[in-house]
Amino acid sequence: MVTVTEAMAARREARTSGRRRVKAAPYLFVAPFVLVFAAFSAYPIFFALQLSFTNWHGAGALKVVGFANYRYLLASPDFWQSMATSGVLWLLVVPAQVLLALTIAVALRKARFRGLFSAALIAPFVTPLVAMAQVWIILFDKDFGAVNHGLTSLGLPAVGWLTTSVWAKVTVALLVLWRTTGYAVILLLAGLSTIPSDVYEAARIDGAGAWHQFWSITVPLVTRTLSFVVVIGTLTVFQLFAEPYVVTGGGPFNGTRTAGLYLYKHITNSDLGLGAANSMLLVLMVLALSVASIRLLRSREDS
Amino acid sequence: MINSVSSPVSRRAVLRGAGAALVAGGLGACAPGNTTGSDPLPTSKSSTALSGELTIWDRTGDLYKVFDKAIASFTAKYPQVKVNHLAVDINAKLPATLISGAGVPDGAFYDDSLLTGVAPHLHDLSQLIEQYKADIAPYKLGVVTVDGKVVAVPWDLDPGLLFYREDIVTQAGVDPAGLTTYDALLGAARTVRDKFPQARPIHLENDQFLAQLWIDMFANQQGGAMIDAQGKLSIDSDPYRKALTWLDTVRSEGLGTLAKYTQPTDLQTQDKGTQVFVPWAQWFVFAPQQLLKASKGKWRAAALPAWQAGGPRAGVMGGSSFVIPAKAKNPELAWRLYEHLVFSKEGYTTVYGPNTVYPGGLNTSIPSYLPALDPNTPLFKPIEALGGQDLWKVAVEAGKQVPGGYAIPTWWGKAVDYFGVNVQKMLAGQLSPDEVLKTSATQIQKNLMGPS
Repeated sequence: MVTVTEAMAARREARTSGRRRVKAAPYLFVAPFVLVFAAFSAYPIFFALQLSFTNWHGAGALKVVGFANYRYLLASPDFWQSMATSGVLWLLVVPAQVLLALTIAVALRKARFRGLFSAALIAPFVTPLVAMAQVWIILFDKDFGAVNHGLTSLGLPAVGWLTTSVWAKVTVALLVLWRTTGYAVILLLAGLSTIPSDVYEAARIDGAGAWHQFWSITVPLVTRTLSFVVVIGTLTVFQLFAEPYVVTGGGPFNGTRTAGLYLYKHITNSDLGLGAANSMLLVLMVLALSVASIRLLRSREDS
Repeated sequence: MINSVSSPVSRRAVLRGAGAALVAGGLGACAPGNTTGSDPLPTSKSSTALSGELTIWDRTGDLYKVFDKAIASFTAKYPQVKVNHLAVDINAKLPATLISGAGVPDGAFYDDSLLTGVAPHLHDLSQLIEQYKADIAPYKLGVVTVDGKVVAVPWDLDPGLLFYREDIVTQAGVDPAGLTTYDALLGAARTVRDKFPQARPIHLENDQFLAQLWIDMFANQQGGAMIDAQGKLSIDSDPYRKALTWLDTVRSEGLGTLAKYTQPTDLQTQDKGTQVFVPWAQWFVFAPQQLLKASKGKWRAAALPAWQAGGPRAGVMGGSSFVIPAKAKNPELAWRLYEHLVFSKEGYTTVYGPNTVYPGGLNTSIPSYLPALDPNTPLFKPIEALGGQDLWKVAVEAGKQVPGGYAIPTWWGKAVDYFGVNVQKMLAGQLSPDEVLKTSATQIQKNLMGPS
């Protein structure tokens, strides 16, 4: 015979097991993502971290070398040159990209053929890079390129766009700008579309001019999108590989050897421990730059 | 509050468990172990009928099509063998594939200059090559030998030649037969410039990788290399000093065109006759055949000038070999295929002889297998783009003079960041030859070789 106490205990157990099923469900649902993330993101990160403390060259057992790779990189002029090159490219690309993209997005906001312009702007982003890079090489050739032809026909001196380390950075930056600004415009157009038109109407009634509206309404209300554009731009520049690889090969005199290109060198040289340490330092650098940029823009938003 | 709901399996526990599994299990299970790099590949039993399937990588482009035909001659001989022939960007893909061990081919075509970098991942072919050793060009045998083991099947030999614009040289009154030394070439360049003031007659290479390869050709011609027989750094030496001093003279006198190989400035100045002399590997012949328009048919090839009267008139620039990865599934079959392509008349004739891709034959290199180098039995035909010149004879005679005893150090590719870059600085007038050699030697010793 089942007692009242036993019946209550059975009901409590049933409730608990049901709750267990219910509580386990969320984990089951997210499990596929967690597994994929663990296999293709978390594991490679942990493995790279592990590798960064070894001198592994792709064959043989892992030999732990402590912080030797980090010490080597932090004392290496080549590493700092690559970081400096990426830093210069960041300065050449990101501020110009934000200004250009914002200007174009505001101009396009009420344009009649917005879709057509948007498609034209995104075209460089989806065009195969190698083809574009070859066009760049031909355009910027010192002796026979169209750019120098234009400059000399105006009485200006020819520029060594691809043969001097200073101008080669500018040439690569121009290519990156041309490729990626359209994407930033599309992002900003999406951001601008969230601003209610009555805000502008109220400002107009209060007598605000176009510049005042832009500076006091548009910029603060798209700050979050701008932050995103800056972060994406920062990631793009510090991972920059294909453009300098194809256009300049990292030259002249390693003048366009970006952080991404330097990292690639470790891989092709089978210096995988050193490469892993380099990528860890790169992550820290990009994180710091992104956080600083976001904070700068947030402070503008808050004010 | 959602956060306060008690859970039979806490989030922290889940994360802790997952983290522990990743770190302890994941890393432990997947961490790389020892590889079988440079395991000797035993001699195949010739009595066994060949059968099976293998995957081979070749460069993309026309060369792939040429090898495709040559592989067909192998499978016609061995119908039980199936060859999966893939066109791949090998330089970019092979090192990563060898390291990861995933999708490793049974054999691949690979640049000699990069060979030593992947040597630990390759089969030791010493026993198999032994029977052919005496018939392989000594230079090439040195290149495919790493730490005393033969790690690749030697393929092409790329002797350096002096390519020149015959029309311009003749108009300037220079006798090409007299270009027997580099001093004579310098004199000829001055004569050409006197006649054509716009001329910058001698090619100066503007690509840091190719420049290093190029200067190594000049050093090889003098019996020099970046390392000596004992493996010690020998870059700060007479062969390199002589070559760099000569190039610096060309630069300082305004006798050179600084251009990247086959980039717009290079092609335009060659077509216009501004650039007249190109001391380069045999594969330069590709330019007049495929890329140059106005000057097609006006180029000729001769042996390189000697660094001193009566000295060797040949050196090597570049080259490729066939590698068999240690993790290949069917290394024996790959060896048999490459043996057929390299060491059988049927194989090398199929590659170098006239075919549908190259009706006149493949003329950008010559075999490194000496029995194939008969001046009277050309594998490829005279070349229209060289005015009908018999390049085979010129290249074969140069190939036979190439000094041996050359070794490519494991860090050759990495040295481009130092030596290749410093050479570029010299060609831009920023460093002297001595500064290039001393700075490069210090940088290579410190960064690539460590304390000796």
